[in-house]
Amino acid sequence: MSVVVTLIFNGLANGALYFLMSAGLTLIFGLLRVINFAHGVFYLWGAYAGVFLYNEFHNFLLAILGGVITGAALGLLTERGLMAKVYQDPTRQLLLTMGVLLVLTELLKIPFGRDPAGATIPSMLAKSWLLGHFVLVEYQVFTLGMGILVYVGLLLLLHRTRLGLVIRAGVANPDLVLARGVPIRRIFTAMFMLGAGLAGLAGALAGPYYGSVTPDMGMNMQLNAFIIVVLGGLGSLNGSVLGSLLIGVATAVVGYYAPSLAVLAAVLVMAMVLVVRPAGLFGEKEVA
Amino acid sequence: MKTIPIRLRHIMLGLFSSLALLWPLLFGTGGTTATLEQVFAFAAFAMSYDLLIGYTGIISFGHAMFFGTGAYVVAIALARGNGHTMSFLFGFGLAVVGAVVLSLLVAFISLRIRNAYFAMITLAVGQVFAVMAGSQGLRQWTHGNDGLTFSVPNWLNGDLTLYYLCLFFLFLTAVFLTRFVASPVGQVLRGIRENESRAVGLGLGVVQFKTLAFVVSGVTATLAGGVYALAQSFVSTGVYDVSGISLNVLLMVVIGGVGTLYGGVLGAAVLVGVQNLFSNWSGWPILTQHEMLWFGILYILIVRFLPQGILGSVVARGGVVSWRALPRFKKSQT
Repeated sequence: MSVVVTLIFNGLANGALYFLMSAGLTLIFGLLRVINFAHGVFYLWGAYAGVFLYNEFHNFLLAILGGVITGAALGLLTERGLMAKVYQDPTRQLLLTMGVLLVLTELLKIPFGRDPAGATIPSMLAKSWLLGHFVLVEYQVFTLGMGILVYVGLLLLLHRTRLGLVIRAGVANPDLVLARGVPIRRIFTAMFMLGAGLAGLAGALAGPYYGSVTPDMGMNMQLNAFIIVVLGGLGSLNGSVLGSLLIGVATAVVGYYAPSLAVLAAVLVMAMVLVVRPAGLFGEKEVA
Repeated sequence: MKTIPIRLRHIMLGLFSSLALLWPLLFGTGGTTATLEQVFAFAAFAMSYDLLIGYTGIISFGHAMFFGTGAYVVAIALARGNGHTMSFLFGFGLAVVGAVVLSLLVAFISLRIRNAYFAMITLAVGQVFAVMAGSQGLRQWTHGNDGLTFSVPNWLNGDLTLYYLCLFFLFLTAVFLTRFVASPVGQVLRGIRENESRAVGLGLGVVQFKTLAFVVSGVTATLAGGVYALAQSFVSTGVYDVSGISLNVLLMVVIGGVGTLYGGVLGAAVLVGVQNLFSNWSGWPILTQHEMLWFGILYILIVRFLPQGILGSVVARGGVVSWRALPRFKKSQT
């Protein structure tokens, strides 16, 4: 019984990390209509920035901020420098983001090498409590808390602010928003930076969460995030919450019995949902 | 205007094919022919990939699932059958059947909604295969991360025969795919690429045509993988690698020229050639150990500034319709 509780809690904490990734991905898609294949590399650079800063200054807040800023800055460069130039051509946007992933992943290997680098949990978050047979790990609680915080923050942003109103209007019809005199291009950039920053945050949290950082972690996390947004329905924030929790628990449970099959489990869950609902759980019905 | 590029193309084709045919006779077998065998296998693979990205307009980031499956099925069949000719035929036959089933399954869950789903789902499925090939559960078949060595049938055993088999396979693939893209089906595929809503409006089963393109491309890629395994007499989890195979073939096609079919051959020659050169060369580690960085930058520059790739740009100069003109259609329609 305690195993089940532990696995489900692990799954929820995994899900919180997945949510930080998939939320950015799904919001970017909702507004810009492009799948960001560079999302994993923002996460990767966020993770390395966090580990680097924590090892240098031993300040966890700084590490997290560094991760967010690294992600957002890379997002700004990618959106302004590359994607905005081929704005009318979704295929080339897709190809360019994949190129960014490839180049930035390889670039990171020059100073940091290909091997995993250790990441330590800061001492103020390293406690754990024994509740009966169930071990509650403080860092997991913290991660889950961050996930909930970001979700609530995003809901408030989207539904209680003027910027959120513009974003939702932009999702519905960007041309009409532009016609009303709102500089939609700037909103696009802001949204891309927000998503990239969330990916950087996820990376900075993930380093201590998994205990190490490797150059492969970007692609692996991106795969999970893709599976989640496809499963939840592209463009739907609530879909990505549900998808994150589902995939988080599924990978935790399968990973406990057969670690290498976790990705298989995630893909199978996705395939089963897509057979029944081709557009995902909360996806809009759009003919290709 | 139009006859010039075609004549030029025929001259170039003839030149390169006769060079490829005579190479081992002129320069003997050895390191270069082994590299060329890899180039031929990857060239066929890249052509199969161009059928998707260049002619149908859908992007797969997991094409290694076919290449790797072809390599592994042929390798396992030959290893189990001790290099008997029957196991050779059985291996290729089984690989083709597997490719058809796999492509139909992936197409069914990914092609019904949006092209972006296809890119994401192929990436995920490709990763599943990479993990499975290295997993302990299948170790008795795949030998896990150690890789699998096998012997080829006796009649194939010889550098020269193997070389000509690879070349012949590339020739067959080129003929088949050229005929395929020129056929009415190929025209429909290009119609889908250029304006999907119009194809739907004309009453074409867009999903069925895309599925067909994916099946044809998958089967060709699988055969290329099998031929690659034969040329190496060895197969390892590297044949399923996302960046090593799936993204590599994307770079080959983009650098060579999207939508030109033969651009993939050029891209394969450049990438495989440079990768082999760098792996034998120890100086300048930042250049030779991170060649994907430089190819990635080249790829970004080409997508950004030269969307037709090298060969595509050369052909476009001769007056053939350019790929860059396509987005204008899409823009006017909404």
